[in-house]
Amino acid sequence: LDATPAELVDKCIGSRIHIVMKTDKEIVGTLLGFDDFVNMVLEDVTEFEITPEGRRITKLDQILLNGNNITMRNPGQKPHEYGSTSL
Amino acid sequence: MSLRKQTPSDFLKQIIGRPVVVKLNSGVDYRGVLACLDGYMNIAIEQTEEYVNGQLKNKYGDAFLRGNNAYSFLRLRPEQINSALRGEMGFKWGRNAAAVLYISTQKRKA
Repeated sequence: LDATPAELVDKCIGSRIHIVMKTDKEIVGTLLGFDDFVNMVLEDVTEFEITPEGRRITKLDQILLNGNNITMRNPGQKPHEYGSTSL
Repeated sequence: MSLRKQTPSDFLKQIIGRPVVVKLNSGVDYRGVLACLDGYMNIAIEQTEEYVNGQLKNKYGDAFLRGNNAYSFLRLRPEQINSALRGEMGFKWGRNAAAVLYISTQKRKA
């Protein structure tokens, strides 16, 4: 069992992860790296808005995601399996 | 697809001078050339286009975006404060805890 949250996040580097934001938005991408504030660098990113229409925006290339607004992340799961689960 | 570890500070160093998309918490989108930024994700962009709901709304020669909810040290004259709050000077202040949601390099949009 991993001791720290940072170690857990580190294990996900190279994998697809799914991030839920405070503002009812979800981001799926490949994790390239992160820092002490859990700002994340992601690649091949898809952005989902939790609306009835399920609007989707896809960005290729890389993004730096501000860690201030992240509520939860888990590896690999599709956003629509779990819906909006912001804390 | 080559995959290499990249921390946020590595990313920030390599994107200066490149075309970027900066999305704020409010959902507003800014596209332009990244002039400079700092560790708080405060960002200066040149040739900025502002998109609201995917529609081009404004253009600014220079735009400054505040990254995090830090106390602002920018001193404005009283008559400037209202126009800054309305975004007329090309300043945008986020309403939520952090203004900047993400910074993305621009290849193409879906």
